[in-house]
Amino acid sequence: MKAPEVGDAVLQSLRRWNLADGEVYLKSGRNRRLRRSLAGVEHQVVGEEGWAVRGGDRRASFFVAGTGRPEPEGPWPAPGGMPLQLPERAPVLRWSEPRDLDAPLLTEIEAHTLLDAVVTALLEELPGARVDDAILEDGSSESTLVSSRGVRAHWRHRLAMLRLSASLPEHGVQATLVQAVRDAKRLQPRLLARALADRLAVRARGNEAEEDGDLVLAPAVAARLLMLLLPLLVGPEASGRVAPLLDREGRLGSPLLSIVDDGRLAGGLLASAVDGEGVPTRALPLVEGGVYRQPLVAWWQSRGPGMPASGCSQRPSFRDPPRPGPSHLFVRPQEGVRPAALVAGLERGCYLLDVDGPGELDLAGDRLRLPVCGFRIAGGAARGPFARSWLVGSVGGALRGVVGVARDLAFLPLLGMIGSPTVRLSGLRLTGGD
Amino acid sequence: MPFAGLDRGALSRALAQLVDGPDDLVEGYLERLEVVELPAAGGPPGVCRWREEGLAVRIVRGDRTWAASRDRLDGAAFAEAARQVARVVPRAALPVPVIEADPWPAPGRPTELEELPRRVDRLLRDRRVAFPYRLALRRHQRDLQVLGPQLVPAPERETFYSFRAELEHASVGGLLVELGDAAAEQVAGRLADAFRSREAAAPEAATTAVVLGPGAAAILLHEAVAHALEADTVAESGSLETVRGLRLSEHPIDVLDDPGGAPHPVRRRTDDEGMPVAPRWLVRRGVVDQLLADQRWARRHASLAPGAGRRADRHRLPGPRSSYLRLLPGEGTLDDLLAAAGEGLFLPEAASGRLDPKSGAFTLQIPHGRRIRDGQLREPVGRCVVRGRLTGLLAQVRAVAGTAAVGGAGWCAKGGQKLPVFAASPELLLADVEVGPP
Repeated sequence: MKAPEVGDAVLQSLRRWNLADGEVYLKSGRNRRLRRSLAGVEHQVVGEEGWAVRGGDRRASFFVAGTGRPEPEGPWPAPGGMPLQLPERAPVLRWSEPRDLDAPLLTEIEAHTLLDAVVTALLEELPGARVDDAILEDGSSESTLVSSRGVRAHWRHRLAMLRLSASLPEHGVQATLVQAVRDAKRLQPRLLARALADRLAVRARGNEAEEDGDLVLAPAVAARLLMLLLPLLVGPEASGRVAPLLDREGRLGSPLLSIVDDGRLAGGLLASAVDGEGVPTRALPLVEGGVYRQPLVAWWQSRGPGMPASGCSQRPSFRDPPRPGPSHLFVRPQEGVRPAALVAGLERGCYLLDVDGPGELDLAGDRLRLPVCGFRIAGGAARGPFARSWLVGSVGGALRGVVGVARDLAFLPLLGMIGSPTVRLSGLRLTGGD
Repeated sequence: MPFAGLDRGALSRALAQLVDGPDDLVEGYLERLEVVELPAAGGPPGVCRWREEGLAVRIVRGDRTWAASRDRLDGAAFAEAARQVARVVPRAALPVPVIEADPWPAPGRPTELEELPRRVDRLLRDRRVAFPYRLALRRHQRDLQVLGPQLVPAPERETFYSFRAELEHASVGGLLVELGDAAAEQVAGRLADAFRSREAAAPEAATTAVVLGPGAAAILLHEAVAHALEADTVAESGSLETVRGLRLSEHPIDVLDDPGGAPHPVRRRTDDEGMPVAPRWLVRRGVVDQLLADQRWARRHASLAPGAGRRADRHRLPGPRSSYLRLLPGEGTLDDLLAAAGEGLFLPEAASGRLDPKSGAFTLQIPHGRRIRDGQLREPVGRCVVRGRLTGLLAQVRAVAGTAAVGGAGWCAKGGQKLPVFAASPELLLADVEVGPP
């Protein structure tokens, strides 16, 4: 039986159990994983196949999930708790699957060759550096969703993710780099090695920085900063958190700042026509030209026309009930603005290359801080590295202080894909120490 | 037991075909997991249930590992996984063994889960406190069967419970091995303590004497002893050879990992690699004795003994981890420890702990505590953090109380694998510990 037929059989069974509403989610996938670390070399092939059923009526509901395929006849547990809410079928805009979705997974030999190339290139870039831990995951998945509300959806994903941890033992410093692409063959060993070498060299030679001039944030730093601000952007409670930060015109940030979540972003690694509940995805502006529009909310969280929903229910695996969250959340890039132009105009300041760990957000105290490293800038040129420093300032200051946005949008695989181009900020400062 | 009727001989013979040399480690792993959740009252949806089963086949040759796993529990999946890990073409075609696990039992009503919230409510009323909270409960059951080409250990089963309670200003969670009166007391006590300390100010940053309750002591030892003495952690930060014999504490503390001595529902005879478990002295009289090791590390270092291999599920490879940590009791009572502290802080529970294996720095997040003044428990203090270096902190141990209590059970995440860990510990007195606001 094909997946949609299995789903229909389960829905029929639920009706026989006097459960008016039901939703069946089926997912299968393959994943190859290569890890090279101190523990040795591990090569894994994982085949996953699972399902989830939500059933219930206007009074109560249940959630069950399992491996393999569901038995159409259940048995199903007695519903309890809250009523089941399912979205109605909605028209889906025309959608073309990305062409590289069917690219074959890397073979074991190809995966080793890729990692070997990174190791060799890193040694060429920075003698003495070594890759301590490398994890390459390359997988594809296929999902099917049917519901008693007429939703019938099918989507596929394909994702390769490389996580590299490297060190420079002579200086006792480390650096980590994570990159996600659809087809692992697009990973470029020399670029990865150069990025790792830059981070190691900065941490090895940099000292603490104190700086209150303008700061240029590389996409990796700006995306981490954006992730830190998710409580202001996701969920119905976000509006209340944002309120104290708005000016009289409802402006949250600089006119250069626009933030969007787009579940069907062209080229996006998690892009699909519908979300994990079969609701059509779309681009939803959350902040437009500095004006706060609305938070990211799922259909069941929507509160009328002032807070329209978008398809943003995420299901990382068949085990997870759908939860609202970003798919591709990003600072909108400014066409035609080269990243170098943001640095070139900087008389005195710093270029923030990477983060050294998780940041902290204190909304009640209107404070944020993020550990960073990078280069000092004077007269538009790099003047030596810094490390072990913190980007600190107020939340409002970070949002209103955007004075430049470049065109080089890049995403990090964080909670969904979080992305930003290079951004120039004023009003925040760098401070050294723990 | 779902694996009682397996044809273990046929599965072993199939695995034997994958062996190509005397040092090859070849292993099959079958598992069945069930989690039933009773969400907090009013939480969507009603009962949640997860039922998973599957298998994995693994070959270890030198420092290389090949593994394949499936979300099915049948002969075809086993043969397919075996073919994917086979390094040589077998002399004969790999047979498709018969795997017939017992069918899943019909899902019953989780009555024991439904009963606990009522008991907790009653106990809170007895304590004369009333506040809104949302309590979610889960029952976890895991059956596993490890298979080798020659030896087949008996199947294992673990059953335990987890809870998570959300209060207005705090959240409380942990693991329980049963849901009787003691569990209800524990949950109600922790909720009441969290509520009563809701407005307490964090203690000022200071270096002070600290008495840790069994829960906090267990989490401290989990970070500072168990994680620190896992073979892979030690290898990451230094040399395996130099760690044994290292003195961590002048006080003669004894810390064991003892999966066979754990409470019955989580007691183990073998680890997740099918190796027999035995009490493992991690620290004896204050000195590092043994490390935690799985088969991969034990094969590479003759001084290491396997038996501490654990894995979150079939899709993950086993690694060295602790299961049931015990700090052996010393002498005296909590009152003796408070009197010996004189001034300081009593920290009964830790919400979480974290160790940086490279630097040896660790932190304990403490949800609340009490001041100690004149050897007596005084006013409450709010959230705070204990910070320290691995070796420095254990050197501050001054006394261990005489009665151990089960506590500090929780989820431990490392390398993407989240595992349940249990512990028993008496109260612990530490001198000159760095404590500060979060």
